[in-house]
Amino acid sequence: GNVFDEFQMEGVASEHNEIYLELVPENLSRALKTAQSAKAVKIKLTNKHCPCLRVSVELPSLSSSSRIVTHDIPVGLIPRRLWNDFREPSVPDFDVSIYLPVLKTMKSVVERMKNLSNSIVIEANLSGEMNLKIETDLVSVTTHFKDLGNPPWASEDGCQSSAEGRDLESMAEARIDIKKLQQLLAGQQVNPTKALCNIVSKRIVHFILLHEDVSLQYFIPALA
Amino acid sequence: SNFECILHCFLFLLVFGRAIHAIARISDEFCFDPIEKGLALRSVNSSRSAYAYVFFSSMFFQHYCWTAVSQPCQKEKQLSLPCKLIIKSVLPVFRCVNVLERNVEKCSIYTNINDHHITFQLLCKHGVIKTYNLTFQECDPLQAVFAKQMCPNILKVHSRLLADLMVHFPTSQEEITLSVTPMKVCFKSYTEEDTDFSKTMLTEIQLNPDEFDYFQVGVDSEVTFCLKELRGLLTLSEAASAPISIHFDIPGKPVAFSIEDTVLEASFILATLSDMEKEPASQQPPRLSQRQESNADAVASKKQQWNGNASTTEPVKPFASPLAQQEIRSTPSISKEMPGAGGTAVVGAKDRAVLEGEVTEAQPSEITTSPPSPNSVSRAVSYICNYCIFQFHSFFFGAFSCKEKDALSHTSHSLATASDTEEDFGKAQSSQV
Repeated sequence: GNVFDEFQMEGVASEHNEIYLELVPENLSRALKTAQSAKAVKIKLTNKHCPCLRVSVELPSLSSSSRIVTHDIPVGLIPRRLWNDFREPSVPDFDVSIYLPVLKTMKSVVERMKNLSNSIVIEANLSGEMNLKIETDLVSVTTHFKDLGNPPWASEDGCQSSAEGRDLESMAEARIDIKKLQQLLAGQQVNPTKALCNIVSKRIVHFILLHEDVSLQYFIPALA
Repeated sequence: SNFECILHCFLFLLVFGRAIHAIARISDEFCFDPIEKGLALRSVNSSRSAYAYVFFSSMFFQHYCWTAVSQPCQKEKQLSLPCKLIIKSVLPVFRCVNVLERNVEKCSIYTNINDHHITFQLLCKHGVIKTYNLTFQECDPLQAVFAKQMCPNILKVHSRLLADLMVHFPTSQEEITLSVTPMKVCFKSYTEEDTDFSKTMLTEIQLNPDEFDYFQVGVDSEVTFCLKELRGLLTLSEAASAPISIHFDIPGKPVAFSIEDTVLEASFILATLSDMEKEPASQQPPRLSQRQESNADAVASKKQQWNGNASTTEPVKPFASPLAQQEIRSTPSISKEMPGAGGTAVVGAKDRAVLEGEVTEAQPSEITTSPPSPNSVSRAVSYICNYCIFQFHSFFFGAFSCKEKDALSHTSHSLATASDTEEDFGKAQSSQV
């Protein structure tokens, strides 16, 4: 609510007040690059020749009236019957939850490792220690992080989660595609307020990045 | 040697390098033409829908020396010998123009006509000398005459603004449309009837005429041209800090982007899409299923349908060898052009007289449109006859005339044009490009 000065929408129906749009991210990214020094940006769903997101950018100009740049980004409307495919996964029952190291450091470590291996092992424990490991026939490299801290999760219904009663030193680990991790880290332009990951041993790694008004979650499944 | 010049300062090197890069966007080869007043670089693309001209006056260089060479066998003293160079050979010399700034202290260019070599020598820091010896071929002088002053629409803007605008379009954007009325200016992605809107992102920029240093709109117009070919000129004008003038008319007539300052002059003349049935002043969408282009085959996307004639015609190469000139005579390019395509007749010095004959003879009989309904054909024919002559006059690769002493002057007489055009239009002034 705080991100936008004005926000109006009307979904398909009152009990399904949502709209699912599919688009090419490159287009939206380019349109918003236009808006870097904008006075105002307006995004509207229109249907001229086909459904489009119309991004109107008002730019400062040398004259009395502003420059207006309009981008029409074609979008696909996803029918309601397919909405389930896009349902947000719930927070998994994780074994370890830990705050991430400084993203810039993590990014440069992972980028170097990407050249050596296709997969990377992330392991962490409840003592604030995390290791990033790669291993091939020729070389193995491990980067150790410590004193990261573990976020406190209140258990919702009072029953035991996988994390409770767990040995503090014991590592939970998952092996994931290194490219996916690298892409995730490369996409972060701004340091988040909070960044953490939840590891379900050998199953999935769940990253949560929190900015003031925005939260980003990434689920990366473990490789076999 | 016959020609020698030296570039001494990084800014000038940068500008020169960017000029080469700008020309590289037009064609794989260009014409390197040193004359007494300065160095001219010219290029035309294979479909003859884009022409570039850059002229560095002798003052641009730290040192500029040019001597005339006259061959005993020639009737007239030849005042210049333009050389045809392959862009790919020259680009490495000016590859990283930014790096050029830091490392290169001096660049000298000299030719020896007798052994057909042009040498580019870069004197770099730490005593490093890079020498590039390039062979050249002789080429027929090539020049386009375009009556810029006769364009009803003239915009002038500093290069920074135009570069800022083009940033909003993807680098892959081929054509854009410039639309003007006296009240507003709009640059937008080009679309046509069969554009797949569900897959194409469209961008449109609206500007107030206030933003232009000079704004003159005599006729409401929407001209579509190839953006890729223009981008080079934009970076060149940024380096030169020169404002850009845009001269244009109704769709179908060429658009000229030019910069001019005391030591440098550049013109990029691009063909624009024309609509056959479109009245010059109206905004109606074309009725004909086909669109025709002025000047050649491929300004717009390859999806364009062409009638049989043009698609089978080989585009006449601008740097025609004597053998190719035979072709020109027998398959006159004007009549073989698409209807509405106008006159890009490309000839060498010798073909002047032949071309004049062709203009009068060949036009009426060779125009076809498809589907060939009687009304549209006759209308097309009459439209073209009038249009072609005008095009021929206004955008014509003509022969180089030895009378041209003041290449820089804009009041210079027009080059070889057909005699009937001079009758029709009187002593119209054409700017030398």
